[in-house]
Amino acid sequence: MRALDRKLLRDLWNVRSQVLAIALVVASGIALLVMSLGVFGSLSTTREAYYARYAFADVFAGARRVPNRVQEQIEAIPGVEKVQTRVVVGVTLDVEGVAEPVNGRLISIPERGRPVLNDVVLRRGRWLDPDRAEEALVSERFAEAHGLQLGDRVAAVINGRRQPLEVVGIALSPEFIYNIGPGEFFPDPLHFGLLWMSRRHLATAFEMEGGFNDVALALTGASASTERAVITELDRILDAYGGLGAIPRSEQLSHWYLQNELTQLQNMAFIVPMIFLGVAAFLLNVVLRRTIAVQREQIAALKALGYSNARLGLHYVQWAVAVVTLGSLIGIVAGLLLANGMLGFYMEYFRFPFLTYEVSVPSILIAIVVSLAAAALGAMGAVRSVASLPPAEAMRPAAPESFRVSLFERLGAGRWLTQPARMVLRNLSRRPLRAALSIVGISFAGAIMVVGSAMMDSMDELLEVQFNIIQRQDLSVSFFEPVERSAVHELAALSGVMQVEPTSGVAARLRNGHLQKQTAIQALAPDARLRRVVDVDYRAIQLDRPGLVLSTLLAEQLQVEAGDTLVVEVMEAARPVREVVLTDTVDDLLGVAAYMEEESLRRLVRRDDTISGAMLKIDSQAEERLFGLLKAMPAVAGVTLRSAALKNIRTYMLDNMSMVMGVNLLFAVIIAFGVIYNTARISLSETSRELASLRVIGFTRAEISSILLGELALLTLASIPLGLLLGYGMIAGAMSAFESELFRLPVVVEANTFLVSAATVLGSMAISAWTVRRKLHDLDLVAVLKTRE
Amino acid sequence: MNVAVTTRAPTSPAHPAPVFAMRGVTKVYSMGEVQVHALRGVDLDLHEGEFTVLLGPSGSGKSTLLNILGGLDAATAGRVTYRGGDLSEAGERALTRYRRRHVGFVFQFYNLIPSLTAHENVALVTEIAHDPLTPEEALALVGLEHRLDHFPSQMSGGEQQRVAIARAIAKRPDVLLCDEPTGALDISTGIAVLEAIGKVNVDLGTTTAVITHNAAISAMADRVISLADGQIANDVRNGAKLPASAIEW
Ligand SMILES: Nc1ncnc2c1ncn2[C@@H]1O[C@H](COP(=O)(O)OP(=O)(O)O)[C@@H](O)[C@H]1O
Ligand SMILES: [Mg+2]
Repeated sequence: MRALDRKLLRDLWNVRSQVLAIALVVASGIALLVMSLGVFGSLSTTREAYYARYAFADVFAGARRVPNRVQEQIEAIPGVEKVQTRVVVGVTLDVEGVAEPVNGRLISIPERGRPVLNDVVLRRGRWLDPDRAEEALVSERFAEAHGLQLGDRVAAVINGRRQPLEVVGIALSPEFIYNIGPGEFFPDPLHFGLLWMSRRHLATAFEMEGGFNDVALALTGASASTERAVITELDRILDAYGGLGAIPRSEQLSHWYLQNELTQLQNMAFIVPMIFLGVAAFLLNVVLRRTIAVQREQIAALKALGYSNARLGLHYVQWAVAVVTLGSLIGIVAGLLLANGMLGFYMEYFRFPFLTYEVSVPSILIAIVVSLAAAALGAMGAVRSVASLPPAEAMRPAAPESFRVSLFERLGAGRWLTQPARMVLRNLSRRPLRAALSIVGISFAGAIMVVGSAMMDSMDELLEVQFNIIQRQDLSVSFFEPVERSAVHELAALSGVMQVEPTSGVAARLRNGHLQKQTAIQALAPDARLRRVVDVDYRAIQLDRPGLVLSTLLAEQLQVEAGDTLVVEVMEAARPVREVVLTDTVDDLLGVAAYMEEESLRRLVRRDDTISGAMLKIDSQAEERLFGLLKAMPAVAGVTLRSAALKNIRTYMLDNMSMVMGVNLLFAVIIAFGVIYNTARISLSETSRELASLRVIGFTRAEISSILLGELALLTLASIPLGLLLGYGMIAGAMSAFESELFRLPVVVEANTFLVSAATVLGSMAISAWTVRRKLHDLDLVAVLKTRE
Repeated sequence: MNVAVTTRAPTSPAHPAPVFAMRGVTKVYSMGEVQVHALRGVDLDLHEGEFTVLLGPSGSGKSTLLNILGGLDAATAGRVTYRGGDLSEAGERALTRYRRRHVGFVFQFYNLIPSLTAHENVALVTEIAHDPLTPEEALALVGLEHRLDHFPSQMSGGEQQRVAIARAIAKRPDVLLCDEPTGALDISTGIAVLEAIGKVNVDLGTTTAVITHNAAISAMADRVISLADGQIANDVRNGAKLPASAIEW
């Protein structure tokens, strides 16, 4: 090995704790990058493979009742390759030992053969026997949540009648990778399940013989224009049979949620790692500059001996590259492990029949390139200063640093300062830029801490708003068919029901030029108390004007603003097509929606005064008995419990977010420690001569410690407010990057989060100070004074 | 430029061509408002194998002169040639090559690399030189063959300076330039160091220039040049050259 390389290794070894600290910061960024890209890649590939193997459809449509003969008409639409018609119904389920309401969706599968589209994966058990009416396949997560085994029984409440079903198989479907019940935002396998039944028996139970109410299509090509044309034609055909509006795959619920997750992963893959690598580059830069300052005379001597600028520049670039390479290696390994953990989580939530694990080489290459870029960035200044160092420097003794009386002292405050305090101030004001950079560096640590835990704050705020301000009902009920408004009174009459509010909505397609969106318009009473629409300050908005109110995100997608006119195609009753004015937009946090005052909506739809469901406030004492009563009501298709939904979201968040946040927190601590420790070590090496001299002339250890640590404390304290500010900015940025139709996190940072952040930074300082202080104590006075740095 | 010539020009013994020739060399350092004239028109020839001692009060321009000869610094005006090649016109690359091939430096403060052993410090040079001594040979020349694996921090000042000399001579330099090599040393160590330099001068025939504050050292030189205020004040030949060990401090 060459002598210069040996020097490199020994120099690195000498500052190994600093090297490790920086390497860990790099590792954090790289780990996040590799993890996000790895999970993203694996999930995307797995999804595509799953879709392909189990024939996930391209277009989906629901209707009231379509005669079987229409299938031929649909098959004849140009661009359609395959058609699968089905019967799909929502029911309430009766599972043994579960008092709470459970909702189910019954889906038909053909008597003979497998579905040509949206095929079912049989995980355990056997396929249905077409001759037996009471058999069903049950979705895997639902079976697991309820501990259902093959041979167990579940009852579906069909038209008020309990229909017992025997579980003969456990299944999955590409159509329900992300499986959420009506009106829900997160998968809740305990309260929502899928059951596949033989087509003939399901049709009989729901008076669908000779017909279907659901159709899925596969298209011959993937062109957007074909898709649009097919959807238009399909809508035209289904119009006469109560078609609910066809949607492309991109709007299919499960696909759309999954897509949102993937997009978030992709966003996360870049934003956060870049912050880490930026900080790492900054640290490298500071440490390298310091190293070069210390080695000025070595560099000059090497130049005098005939080493070129390029060779010496390379020497310090190698320094940076070595640190970053170490960090990358740690980061890649950690990232792969994390990706594994995350994938485990996603597999649990999404349930794929197989996982195509991609140890994506490109993502690792990206990581390496990005980290080397950080190294180059960090080493750039260093190389320049090496090149500009005159070799004659080696011949000269080092000039004393030029000092000035600090500004603080010039203002006349000097007389209160002790001698060590004066030194602290002069040290800092000698290198104002260095001090400023250190403050910025440490504040990054504080900021990342804020980001790490503010996610939780936002989530809490979201739940608070969603479940205490917007949705205040204890449970909501949905009906199979719209019913008379008088049903409200029937519900109110049930004992334990304290308050009832009707809900109704219509399936509709909103259109602005070529932009369109399939959705449901929810009717809201002007005096609604349980389900409300709120403004930015969470005050209830009075829906008293005729016109549409949309979630801001939905309005943005349709490129409309308050005051603009939209075309509303109603998918029910007389199926009118009307122009409606957008009166307002609201910043919904969970999901996106369209609202209208109930009377205006009824006039728009031109239908009878019916309701599609109700929201109830109930006495918790009477809960269980009430569940029983509701399930037994023939009209009831589903009952959703707020407390269950809330609990489910919390578990989801705990599972998902806590992992992400734990990782964030760990990384924040690493960065805090990395920056502060390096700052401390650098000022130690800068001032050790000076401090040793002070010791020689009689200063105590405590006194010289206070000079060094005072400087560190001052920098750290100054960084805290900046860190909090920066953190707030970063969380605001991150929230808007993570924003999706799924949810929009409000930017909320609790005082506690700020405290934790400040405490972490101070804690890191304390530990750094402690290690540096130990070094100070061990300061070999003679050696320090003898060696010329 | 052709500083890189390695073959020596044929010289007649009566009027040998000088190794270095300086003509009208001035050096001005500008420090903001103030201009410091470190050299004011120096004319000087140094000859093959000559052992020259540079004397003069502090600030008289000795180091500046030596740095310009060694290609560490450039003259503000005037001409400097090395074996006929023009140093004053050379660029950064050419100067690096010049230093690498022809010049050995010994610094007042040794300037060893603290993270490298004696052997490795010398290897630093032998690795990039053409036809060098081995580090062992170079260290043996200064009497340190038994300290190969010691780090600078484990050696005395005199030993460190001898490592620095070994490092300077390991490439078999054509010229050896020493800036106050004994400035930081006590008498006996200083003599040991001077002996090492003198031995190199005699054994390898290296053209040598040594800056010192100590006039007594002149006794071992072929030639003694005194600088004062940036100019050559005196230039004498020493007829009775003594070995370093015989010098009275
Ligand atoms: N890099 C420099 N910048 C400014 N002035 C310098 C520099 N190097 C030397 N000088 C000045 O040039 C003069 C000669 O310096 P130097 O050659 O080092 O003297 P000597 O080595 O004889 O003590 C001195 O006045 C010194 O202050
Ligand atoms: Mg000098």
